[in-house]
Amino acid sequence: MNEPRHGQADTFPKLLLENARIRGSRPAYRQKYLGIWQTHTWQEAADIAREIGLGLASLGMKRGDKVALIGQNTTLMYISFDAIQSVGGIPVPLYADSVAEEMTYVLDHAGVRFAVCQDQEQIDKIETMRDRVPQIEHLVYEEHKGMRRYEQPDMHSIDALREAGREFDRANPGFFDEQVALGTGSELAIIVYTSGTTGNPKGVMLSYDALCRSARLARDLEGLGENEEVLAYLPLAWVGDHFISHAQHHVTGFTVNCPESPDTLVADLRDIGPTLFIAPPAIFENFLTQIGIRIADAARIKQALYNRAIALARRVGEPILNGEAVGLVDRLMYRFYEFCIYGPLKNTLGFSRTTVAYTGGAPLGEEVFSFYRSIGVNLKQLYGQTESCAYVCLQRNGDARLDTVGPPAPEVEVRITEAGELLYRSPGNFLGYYRNDEATSETLDADGWVHTGDAGILTDSGHVKIIDRAKDVGTMTDGTVFAPQYIENKLKFYPFIREAVAHGTGRDYATAFINIDLEAVGNFAEREGLGYSGYMDLSQQDQVYDLIQGNIEEVNRDLARDSTLASSQIRRFLILHKELDADDGELTRTRKLRRRIIGDRYNDLIEALYSNRDHIQVNSRVTFEDGRVGEFNADVKIRNVATAPAGSS
Amino acid sequence: MSAAERTGSDREVMLSVENITLSFGAVRAIRDVSFDILKGEIRAIIGPNGAGKTSMLNVINGFYHPQQGQILFRGAVRRQMRPHEAAAGGIARTFQNVALFKGMTTLDNIMTGRNLKMKSWRTSLLPAMIYYGPTQREEIANREHVERVIDFLEIEAIRKVPVGRLPYGLQKRVELGRALAAEPDLLLLDEPMAGMNLEEKQDMCRFVLDVNDEFGTTIALIEHDMGVVMDLSDRVVVLDHGEKIADGTPDEVKNDQNVIDAYLGVSH
Amino acid sequence: MMDFIDLVVFGPILDMAEYPAFFLEVVFGGLMSGVMYSLVALGFVLIFKASGVFNFAQGVFALFAALTLVGLMTGTVPFSLDKALPELPAWVAIVLTLLVMVLLAIAVERIMLRPLVNQDQIIMFMSTIGLAFVLEGLGDTIWGSEVKALDVGIPTGFFMLGEIQIQVFDLVAAAVATILVVVLALFFQWTRTGRALRAVADDHQAALSVGIPLKNIWIIVWSVAGLVALVAGIMWGSKSGVQFSLSLIALKALPVLILGGFTSVPGAIVGGLIIGVGEKVAEVYWGPLVNGAIENWFAYVVALVFLLFRPQGLFGEKIIERV
Repeated sequence: MNEPRHGQADTFPKLLLENARIRGSRPAYRQKYLGIWQTHTWQEAADIAREIGLGLASLGMKRGDKVALIGQNTTLMYISFDAIQSVGGIPVPLYADSVAEEMTYVLDHAGVRFAVCQDQEQIDKIETMRDRVPQIEHLVYEEHKGMRRYEQPDMHSIDALREAGREFDRANPGFFDEQVALGTGSELAIIVYTSGTTGNPKGVMLSYDALCRSARLARDLEGLGENEEVLAYLPLAWVGDHFISHAQHHVTGFTVNCPESPDTLVADLRDIGPTLFIAPPAIFENFLTQIGIRIADAARIKQALYNRAIALARRVGEPILNGEAVGLVDRLMYRFYEFCIYGPLKNTLGFSRTTVAYTGGAPLGEEVFSFYRSIGVNLKQLYGQTESCAYVCLQRNGDARLDTVGPPAPEVEVRITEAGELLYRSPGNFLGYYRNDEATSETLDADGWVHTGDAGILTDSGHVKIIDRAKDVGTMTDGTVFAPQYIENKLKFYPFIREAVAHGTGRDYATAFINIDLEAVGNFAEREGLGYSGYMDLSQQDQVYDLIQGNIEEVNRDLARDSTLASSQIRRFLILHKELDADDGELTRTRKLRRRIIGDRYNDLIEALYSNRDHIQVNSRVTFEDGRVGEFNADVKIRNVATAPAGSS
Repeated sequence: MSAAERTGSDREVMLSVENITLSFGAVRAIRDVSFDILKGEIRAIIGPNGAGKTSMLNVINGFYHPQQGQILFRGAVRRQMRPHEAAAGGIARTFQNVALFKGMTTLDNIMTGRNLKMKSWRTSLLPAMIYYGPTQREEIANREHVERVIDFLEIEAIRKVPVGRLPYGLQKRVELGRALAAEPDLLLLDEPMAGMNLEEKQDMCRFVLDVNDEFGTTIALIEHDMGVVMDLSDRVVVLDHGEKIADGTPDEVKNDQNVIDAYLGVSH
Repeated sequence: MMDFIDLVVFGPILDMAEYPAFFLEVVFGGLMSGVMYSLVALGFVLIFKASGVFNFAQGVFALFAALTLVGLMTGTVPFSLDKALPELPAWVAIVLTLLVMVLLAIAVERIMLRPLVNQDQIIMFMSTIGLAFVLEGLGDTIWGSEVKALDVGIPTGFFMLGEIQIQVFDLVAAAVATILVVVLALFFQWTRTGRALRAVADDHQAALSVGIPLKNIWIIVWSVAGLVALVAGIMWGSKSGVQFSLSLIALKALPVLILGGFTSVPGAIVGGLIIGVGEKVAEVYWGPLVNGAIENWFAYVVALVFLLFRPQGLFGEKIIERV
């Protein structure tokens, strides 16, 4: 057999076989099942990939066929990527929590012939839409639960598929290796659909070369090795997860750990203690909120110790992490607190062994960013897009700053257009949008520059600073700049505030919608002895309004310090009667606000904020996961907030 | 498969109640009610408030002892059951208002459901402490079963959480888990979806169907939500003021004049 | 004014600092009686946790156990005061006494608990008061009312640790109590019977539905409480003789429970130790200022303060009602 030289494998199936050869008995995947972490070695992974791949071939899958992958992160789902790619198929991962409608669009657009589903829930979603995606021929399911009543001939359990694969292998012994050898680096490896804040999702086509080269560059930059532990909990369909848990995983040979269930993240993190961790800002914020809750409930002496420790960390923690000079006494105290506060805290969060933690996708609150760095978690920001295989800019160790996303990554070129738009050209450049030449030509120009649609600037030190989505930044009637996201991020730092939507563009003054954090405010309610029946009830309590009002007034004081932002102070706010939800189309699957939809749907509420009413009656609809719609009525209160004079502190 | 197909007439009877009458002092809660539950079916007991549904369940699992009538369970005639005998005989149940051990974790709660599957618990006082080896093996085997239940009900995340801190919907799920841990042949569910929101109800429906499907467990359930009853059950018995007024498939019962009157409150 | 502060605050503290060895001896003495309080409180907590009954008779249990033990060891014929029976060695007598306590538990379940099942807590409580009187009378009738010496062979004597005099008996008592607590904690947490006990404590009906027979559980709980009472009785009886005032330590256990929380095993232990040490120290250093007898009311004052500021006790579950 004509094996590629070590380190030169140019497709993931080849890399998988290479890993099976050189580290065959090392763990490739772990998954917690029945409360115990179950391991699959590289050799086992390669064997299973072979069985599944040949199983698909036995069902008639041809090179170039699109195969949908839908489900939670499980070992078998990850191995299925290899299985599909090894026999020349193109995996199309879908978000497991998307509703049937959204799924149909992608399945149809990608022309999917086969779908590998993790459980009955996904199978059901496809079945309800089956007549709208007639080109789907076979469905494969991993989990048997609830599948007993399904007797359709085109549904296969993954075990049956593997059996079919073994059968096929016996009949066609050389087929698998042939197929793997046929693959080349320049080929299409995967189509990743981006959720997008507007319009239909677009299918980003990524090649093996783009993914492999990006992964190798990042591996060398961060010095990653086969001993890394990664927790794969982010959606399979998100490019960041695919980049780390598949591309980087294959290139570096480390272990990918799959959580027990989508709800067990915290416990699984603690079990695994990942060395490399990537999460959207919301997760880091959420953890900080949890800590805040626990500390608020702790004994007073613990609170005092914690507060002193954090105060010290805020002063000297980041310089220590960046390797700067720090006084001896502070250094010793930091050591002491590391022993009794930071260490246990990191252990609880699962960050004890973390050498690199990345966040990106949305700006991170200053408090959150510096909190993690100050207790010794090397949290860094990156900026990237699906179109670039995950990253464009990466912060370097010892040079992580809050206000920039770092310098361009190695071998990535960046420039800013006259209109202020950020363009890049990277080894990870995508091939184009699947079946959407118009969008491709708008985004990817002839010289290989990708248009990001983000407004950015290049600082003197060569760092890239992203201001906002250009289209979101507006002006108020007095002509001052209004940057909603900036204000929202400030608000969302408070543990009681989960989401915020700031309004002000084209208005005389700024206002905000608030989503309270049910857990944090629920805890507050318990401490205060407030009874409540659910989110809606809790959100409209006067004490909760007082609480949020206090937070907003603090933000206002903060905004007032900067003369250009002073006019963005929030004058009135309301707490929404329902949580903004991706199922209702109000957020993207990555929890970004869909401003236009929110603006349309809650127009009455916005108008009420700009009237002098102190409450408003609303009725609202919610969409459940199966696509059904429910309606309810609520009375939403509106509060005025004190503002601070500009330039005061 | 349709409900009719699944309930063939030649099916074995799992349990039947015959001419049960139950009184509390002067109040007659159940009057001369008879019906049977076939092996492997989902049997719904419905009726307006105060119809005697919960009393009926309590008779079946031995909390109440009827003044007249008898219970035929697996062919054996019983005038009355005792709760722990019912449990030992393979009847598990949940309660209308969740009756969990609030101070204990989800895991411990479900482990108590294994109580009867653990050998001779009466002597377990000493062996559990002294003969560590065999006891430990037994504990591990039971734990594995409990973990399967946890996996089945998708409650991994709350394994170590005291159930008193869980929201209501999850408590109901844990309670179902405790009943399932006993590997029952007959599962009695007293309003399993009461007080749940739509999404929780759908989850619970799925679990009930899956239990019936996967383990072949016979299920008798009381439910108010008619949509749920129609979707889930193979056969329905309708009680009103302690008397049986209808018995049949969901469709038959739905169109029965007596049932319509009872639900609309028409007096006879 | 300054004189007063001097007298009440600085004086005693200076005394403590001046003779630290003596102070430590006082603390040790306090710990010893604290262990006793803890043991009795533990009996309360066990029964309260498992059956929701506040067993007023727990102190009398200890007395009754000690009386039976002495009676058996001295060969006393029940109801007669004659010492005509063979004297039994301590360990045989202890085993027999334990048996008696188990029989007592069975009798309590039969005669008292079963007929009263599902009654209000207050009714159960009243019945345990009745039980206390019955048992006290029974002990008197069977074994006689004079003070009896009890010696089960716990070594006495003392040794010096630096300048501090330590009683061997105290150490043994502390060790026995520790072992007992550890064993009970393991039993409750890790055995299936322990789990069943906790289940019954939580919800009778649910426990029945999973096939736990209530009566057996009650017998076990009351037997365990009997065992704890026996240990407490042995310790207390060996120290100061078996006498009817022993039942009064039940009253001291009440403030201990308020301090520690009614449902917490560690609470019962820590609470007992705090009360024990607290009242000894208060008695020795502040006693002279008020002509003594602080020991008699100190515990209740502490309990009162706790009721005002932390009603759930040190370790009790915070009571949170979700609507």
